[in-house]
Amino acid sequence: MKEKAKIMSDDEMERVLKRLALEILEKNKGMSNSLLVGIQRRGNYLANRLKQYMREMEQEKVITGVLDITLYRDDLSLLHDQPVVHSTGIPVDITGKNVILVDDVLYTGRTVRAALDALMDLGRPSSVQLCVLIDRGHRELPIHPDFVGKKIPTSKNEIVEVRVVELDGVDEVVICERGE
Amino acid sequence: MEWKHKNLIDLDCWEKEEILHLIDQAGNMEDLLNRPIKKVPALRGKLIVNLFFEPSTRTRVSFELAEKMLSADVVNWSASGSSTAKGETLRDTAWTLESMGADAIVVRHGAVGAASYLQRKLKHAAVFNAGDGAHAHPTQALLDIYTASKHYSSLEGLRIAIVGDIVHSRVARSNMIGFRTMGCDVVVSGPKTLMPPELDYYGVRYFKDPREAVKGANIVYLLRIQRERQEQGLFPSLDEYFKLFGADEELISLAEKDALIMHPGPINRRVEIDSLVADGPQSVILEQVRSGVAVRMALLYLCLGGAR
Amino acid sequence: MESILLTNCKVYDGKELLDGEKHILIEDGKIAKIAAEKPSVSENLKIYNLKGLIVCPGFIDIHAHLRDPGQEWREDILSGARAAARGGYTTIVAMPNTDPPVDNPFLVRYVIEKGRSSGGARVLPAGTVSKNREGCVMAEMGKMVEEGAVFFTDDGSPVKNSSLLQKALLYSSHLDVRIMEHPEDNELSKGGQVNYGWCSSISGLKGNPPSSEVVDIKKCVALAKETGGAIHFTHVSTKEGIEEIKRAKSEGLPITCDVTPHHLTLDETMVVKSGFDATYKVNPPLRNKEDVEALWQAIADGVVDAIATDHAPYHMDEKDLPFQEAAFGIASLECAIAAVLNEWSSRGKICPLERLLSLWTSNPAGLLPRQWSDLGVIKEGAPADLTVLDLDKNKQVKVEEWASKARLTPWEDASLKGWPVMTFLEGKVLFCDTDRRC
Repeated sequence: MKEKAKIMSDDEMERVLKRLALEILEKNKGMSNSLLVGIQRRGNYLANRLKQYMREMEQEKVITGVLDITLYRDDLSLLHDQPVVHSTGIPVDITGKNVILVDDVLYTGRTVRAALDALMDLGRPSSVQLCVLIDRGHRELPIHPDFVGKKIPTSKNEIVEVRVVELDGVDEVVICERGE
Repeated sequence: MEWKHKNLIDLDCWEKEEILHLIDQAGNMEDLLNRPIKKVPALRGKLIVNLFFEPSTRTRVSFELAEKMLSADVVNWSASGSSTAKGETLRDTAWTLESMGADAIVVRHGAVGAASYLQRKLKHAAVFNAGDGAHAHPTQALLDIYTASKHYSSLEGLRIAIVGDIVHSRVARSNMIGFRTMGCDVVVSGPKTLMPPELDYYGVRYFKDPREAVKGANIVYLLRIQRERQEQGLFPSLDEYFKLFGADEELISLAEKDALIMHPGPINRRVEIDSLVADGPQSVILEQVRSGVAVRMALLYLCLGGAR
Repeated sequence: MESILLTNCKVYDGKELLDGEKHILIEDGKIAKIAAEKPSVSENLKIYNLKGLIVCPGFIDIHAHLRDPGQEWREDILSGARAAARGGYTTIVAMPNTDPPVDNPFLVRYVIEKGRSSGGARVLPAGTVSKNREGCVMAEMGKMVEEGAVFFTDDGSPVKNSSLLQKALLYSSHLDVRIMEHPEDNELSKGGQVNYGWCSSISGLKGNPPSSEVVDIKKCVALAKETGGAIHFTHVSTKEGIEEIKRAKSEGLPITCDVTPHHLTLDETMVVKSGFDATYKVNPPLRNKEDVEALWQAIADGVVDAIATDHAPYHMDEKDLPFQEAAFGIASLECAIAAVLNEWSSRGKICPLERLLSLWTSNPAGLLPRQWSDLGVIKEGAPADLTVLDLDKNKQVKVEEWASKARLTPWEDASLKGWPVMTFLEGKVLFCDTDRRC
């Protein structure tokens, strides 16, 4: 895989996430009846980042959880090796809450579909909203984000990689070319 | 990690890392057991047959729950009232099931080698050994390792004393292999008539005095004593067995302070284990049962990955 | 009858490998001439140039299960005798544990007659020691000898009653027919599926201990000593068993024994390594490597009197089962000699070739009643029962090509070196797997 271009630096990522935090707060009128749920694994770190910025802005208690959607994927029978299952941990009952799903990249929409199924098995939220750092297009399902960090037109041959300090040692977003 | 196993016949071909990975996955599966909706669609559309030639409610129900929680389609095929009673061979039964589209067969059979035999006979379906004669019961060993791992951050160097009827026990054989693979110091005790003649292969030491075996153990694992062994003249009476080898509080007191008490169930109170021990604070016997479902979910999930 | 000339061959005559190349002329089913110079050739003579091959007395297998009468779905006398000929044997002894057992003169005759018309190896029957092979009452041994029985054995099991064995030894002492004992103590081996020790420990299968064999051998040796009767121990499988026999022989007791190709070439680890493939299930069970070693040493030391197949064919349906449920028995007639020759070379030719060859020829012939003693030698005037060996031939075992009805063998697909390539029975070619016709 060849790295083609950096499309977001750490400064830019911080700025975008702060804007997203503000938008979420605005739309939900605070976070008192809402929670952020990061999709394993990078959505999880982005959700924590949003939480941190929200608290800096509003000094409000923000609840976050993590959701692993592996067991809900629709491509398990196509993969040779089963992907690793990570933990799901949501500290409150989501029934009646506004759940803001947080993920790094929105692409075909299949991950979000799986996340919706997974969420519904955990309870009945009053609404589910979707926040993504990057929307790269090519949707295969009727799924639309509520909060978007940046829209990037891509070709299917490209891969958008969101890197976070916690896992990758650096905050950045890059586009890579899929190897032949 | 790249998962190379599509079947589970015995643990002798599993690496430590593979067991650790399965245990890690089982931990995440166990969380599902606490949810209001205990079901995920991971194995939707997979057909799993539980082929049980011996009555075994526990293992079968445990597998069945694991299969159902992963949304597999489950068929239970038991020996009584089926074609087996009419003289159909294991081979024909297996081929029939495969023709019906079974993706996996969980097999419990009284004959040693039944699971590996099935694996040789089947073209596509995966085989999971739920016990073949006195040979192996690998999912029991995995769930035991998983249970122990919940109490110890690493099993490396722990001492586990297995006491009872080793020679007739598939649980003991798989556990000796499994806990040794995890780096444990495994010791066994029991009457010599219930010991296999050769233990070097397993890297296991024998103590004729159970107190010597249990001394300093982190895990005391008791095996079920079947009444027929006494009828076969392998020891004079159940009462004498309990007196010499039964796990009472006195015996357990020789182990490490917080040693775990394990037993594959069902237990014979006052034969191999005293109620005060079985129901005592150190006993994790019921935890083992709960672990069984999670471990079997992880196993099915890892091995039944799509493209075969 | 057409005369045959075998030219340029090495000859093992039952005692030794003769110097130089020989030419053997066969007339009227007998060996007419063995000469260093090629005899003058008349017309109407079939000539085989056997340069580089060894001509031996026809090989004898004193222990084969032909399952006839009564279990013909496993094997019958026809298929068994033909399989034997293709495997390099010209004479085989049919075990009497059939259904019904060969415990009377009529069945002895039945086996001989059916063998005679088989177009395969010569079939000599063994009769049971006890009526119905039940180990209670002595069978009509004298009458069976008159009809041609060459051994008495309750094989499949030992003679169950020691007292009966004692009486049989005394009673048969004038009959010139040996009692062949299947050495096993049934109480000790009860339920045994594999060798006791490593294999039973790992598999969880019940072990059949070496003591089962040893205890019975000791008992029989004591009876032989007391009665003066001769006992032949068949399929001896353990180091301890062999030691017992060696001791008895050194005391000059009339004790002999044979070992099987599978106990010489396979061991208990194969049961485990194969994932409990029932092809390796046999009684006595495959023993450990030390036992295999001891059997070869016993051959080298001259303790062993014969190599006998214990060819025990079964139908697939009785054998292709989970290990614990499958029948005991290994079918080997059509590859046994090759398996042993192959093992002998890969073990660095632990004994001289002549010793090995004697265990298929002169030695087993010596265990048969006197009228058959010529079977083990090549000499002018003797019946032209011959086995031709090609020690360099490599061939893969393909059980589906067998004349035997067995369709499972542990050697399936094995590439073995050293094969019988021709057999002659009384001057007639029974089997020819070589293109040496001139």
